[in-house]
Amino acid sequence: MDGFRFDLSAPHIVVPVRITGMQRVRWVNLVLDTGSTSTVIDELVAFRLGYNLESAPTVSVTTVSGTSQASIIVARQIFALGMTVDEFPVLVMPLPTQLRADGLLGLDFLRRRNLFCNFEKGILLTLPSSRGFLHRLAIFAQIFPAL
Amino acid sequence: MDETRPEPIEQIRQRYEGEWLLIKVTSHDENGLPKEGILLGHFPDRKAAWEATEFVDGEVYVLFAGPTIPEGWEAVLHGWFSL
Repeated sequence: MDGFRFDLSAPHIVVPVRITGMQRVRWVNLVLDTGSTSTVIDELVAFRLGYNLESAPTVSVTTVSGTSQASIIVARQIFALGMTVDEFPVLVMPLPTQLRADGLLGLDFLRRRNLFCNFEKGILLTLPSSRGFLHRLAIFAQIFPAL
Repeated sequence: MDETRPEPIEQIRQRYEGEWLLIKVTSHDENGLPKEGILLGHFPDRKAAWEATEFVDGEVYVLFAGPTIPEGWEAVLHGWFSL
């Protein structure tokens, strides 16, 4: 079980994420976003990680305000919320300057573990997926004292 | 750029509230997250901070010291994609 504290007064839940790119390793702050199907980073971040966006494949992205295009890169490794994932696809698009984070941590990353969020205490827990009754019981025994 | 001894990242954030920070990570907490670091620079915007990373190797943390959106703003980030 991995537990994290987040700022209750902040407008978003911000998650520090370590991204290993083509050339460099960088820590960035991503907004936890269960409404986003994919993890997204800003164009400048991808460029500084060593990716050439001109040769990257693109996809259409739908948001509440319309559609746009995003490039796809493959991060060599991503570490966040106690999870390490190798060869992880990430969407790249320009983010608004008003957003003071470098991207979104989307469902494609979050659904790899179970996520428990306590908005009263500002605690986020991630747990491995439960396989059977006893395993589930053991997990709940860990969750309740922490929450 | 400022080059000093390692200090808690939270302490650096409080000192430069409202700016983008470039920090060289020197230690991690029990969850593997950046705990202490050396401030390499502080910038008015994301672009300037990321441009400065070009000259820095190793484990570097780029972050904004403050809320993720300006006061008075709301954010709607929902999105999905199709191939």
